[in-house]
Amino acid sequence: MKITINNQIREVQEGLTVLEACKTIGINVPTLCYLKDVSTNASCGVCVVEVKGARSLLRSCITPVFEGMEITTNSQRVMESRKVNVELLMANHPQDCLICDRNQNCELQQLTFDLGIDKKRFVRTRKEYVHEDKTSLSLIRDPEKCILCGRCVAVCSEMQTVKAIDFSGRGLKTKISTFFDLGLGMVACTNCGQCALVCPTAAITERSEVNEVWKALHNPEKVVLVQTAPAIRIGIGEAMGMPNGSLVTGQMVAGLRRLGFDKVFDTNFTADLTIIEEGNELINRIKNGGVLPMITSCSPGWIKFIEHFFPQSLKHLSSCKSPQQMFGAIAKTYYAEKTGIDPRNIVVVSVMPCTAKKFEARRPEMDGAFHYWKDKMNLTQESYFYDVDAVLTTRELARMFKENGSDFSHLPQEQFDSPLGTSTGAAVLFGATGGVMEAALRTAYEVFTGLTLPNIDFNAVRGMVGIKEAEIDLNGTKIKVAVAHTLKNARILMEQIEAGTSPYTFIEVMTCPGGCLGGGGQPIPTNADIRKKRAESIYLEDFKKVIRKSHENPEIQYLYDHFLVEPLGDKSHHLLHTAYTER
Amino acid sequence: MYPQITSAVPEIVIDEIILKYRDKPGMLLSTLEEVQEINPLKFLSKETLSIVSRKLDVPYTQIYSVATFYSFFNLKPQGKHSIIVCRGTACHTKGSKALLNEVGPILGLGTEEIEIDPSFTTPDNLFTIKTVACFGQCAQSPVVAVDGIMYSNVNSQKLLKILRKVKSNPNP
Repeated sequence: MKITINNQIREVQEGLTVLEACKTIGINVPTLCYLKDVSTNASCGVCVVEVKGARSLLRSCITPVFEGMEITTNSQRVMESRKVNVELLMANHPQDCLICDRNQNCELQQLTFDLGIDKKRFVRTRKEYVHEDKTSLSLIRDPEKCILCGRCVAVCSEMQTVKAIDFSGRGLKTKISTFFDLGLGMVACTNCGQCALVCPTAAITERSEVNEVWKALHNPEKVVLVQTAPAIRIGIGEAMGMPNGSLVTGQMVAGLRRLGFDKVFDTNFTADLTIIEEGNELINRIKNGGVLPMITSCSPGWIKFIEHFFPQSLKHLSSCKSPQQMFGAIAKTYYAEKTGIDPRNIVVVSVMPCTAKKFEARRPEMDGAFHYWKDKMNLTQESYFYDVDAVLTTRELARMFKENGSDFSHLPQEQFDSPLGTSTGAAVLFGATGGVMEAALRTAYEVFTGLTLPNIDFNAVRGMVGIKEAEIDLNGTKIKVAVAHTLKNARILMEQIEAGTSPYTFIEVMTCPGGCLGGGGQPIPTNADIRKKRAESIYLEDFKKVIRKSHENPEIQYLYDHFLVEPLGDKSHHLLHTAYTER
Repeated sequence: MYPQITSAVPEIVIDEIILKYRDKPGMLLSTLEEVQEINPLKFLSKETLSIVSRKLDVPYTQIYSVATFYSFFNLKPQGKHSIIVCRGTACHTKGSKALLNEVGPILGLGTEEIEIDPSFTTPDNLFTIKTVACFGQCAQSPVVAVDGIMYSNVNSQKLLKILRKVKSNPNP
């Protein structure tokens, strides 16, 4: 259809909004509250344009184009109105950009600069100062920095169907609240952090543990081990100024070593271990009439979700701990034993694309190593330690790299340390939706049938479709599997299970869109295009590996031969498996 | 002794109210309104809202959003008598703020609280002072409603006199 934009007649596709139409012809109308695929709250008034025949300025993010529409995006009236709308937001927004977590990565800051606003014109209108919400182990909310764009409310209710936050009050007292302002830590929040990912300012951020990690690194008595999740190597490059989805495994390892970590290990190692335990658990359940479908348990947001919303179905969860927690338990038992290091002096730091991992690490049951040593070393409660001591998000690690002056374009590519650093292609797949399923199938097929898998790529479980299905023929035994990402889709599969109509044997659930690569701890921005790029890198990393099946990982085989003895054995039970809580 | 604050509306009472409005338009608002009315302290407690949320299958946060949006709903126990001071433009120019500032402290309300939270209940649970954006009685300004009765051209002496009278009436 033909429309006129800034006096030029242009051909645009039908059904677009004015904002989208402008974009297709190279005009970027500024936006603030609008976020593609997430929110069209249309509350900020930054994207206004003039349309001939309309009495007032229109918000381009929600106005559809029509034949013969005459749009002006750059008149004096439009530009002044945009400025005033941002200036009004500034009136109540703190001016502490220098020390703000989102400094140089804040949409309000950027917009203020882009629109040429050079002074604070309006005084504060909000009368009360709202305190930070520090009740959550994963996230901190600072309502003072909130501009009420509603993106966090949209992801929480629509993408995740959790509804932990909503608007409360009215007029000047409007704010984002939990139920009765109890705080995120006191309500049914899954800690997924998608709200932090979409927040244009620093109104929601992760609870930073950077200072604790520096302290450990600078303490000569501590042996500080770091583990990196599969999705860090395809995310951290972005935060270090490289193109979206850059695969930077080698530079990341080199950078971590230069931060002072004593050993740079890999969560992928315990991802392989998870596959062995979980694959065997699945086979066990199939052969012995256990509870099916079995559902994966790697994603801590999902775990808290099912504990809150489907507590009667907890028996469907695999009892396997997540790779992060398996790593902590193995590092402070097997590795400590092997090297003769006092487990009390080992500090395990994980780098995760995830805010919910911070909560997971502090679950009271995540202290397998302490109980392993308690009797052997006569430990008292005073020397209590968790399996994982600190959890950093991808963003926090990037801050440490910057503080340390690491330049990814000059860092060499280095290898992970042994023995907890060797991993297969299957393990890196954990970073993408469908990856745990694919990795598990590669192993379960061969263990179950005793045959070699003819084609190890399970394309049916790859890609960004919300719920993916596949049927696998285990040499005569046919099983149906499903893969869901985002909790909205997980809810659909759970409702099937509770209605008794679920046709599946095995289900993978990831909390975040695209899996961990789109996690709440990943670099900002994260959007559909960026998630696609990161996924490509995940599959590339798998493809490049010589060994691509978890059960063929030689270090894992060694671990079983010399420590764990057998999958689902006694040691596994105490160190690698867990139980869940009704909430 | 101050009267005991009891927050819980029995679940069975809530059930009955819900049944009355279920599947009708404005179900949530009508339910909340009646549940608040039935509570002797005229408010919606956290427990009450939790029960309504579960029974109506409306998320906790959404109920809280609704309850905080409408000034009609109270989330704190209300005093025996309500004093509503109009803070509209006309009443403001005729001194409604001064009225709050003068009478508030006599009832135990700090000036800072008047500024921030225009809903305050006296420690003896006798009075709750609230404000309203406009009563629409601007010609009579400043206007104050005490226990639902409108008083016009109020000054602080007149208001104190009204309050003394109301206080001596055991059944408002």
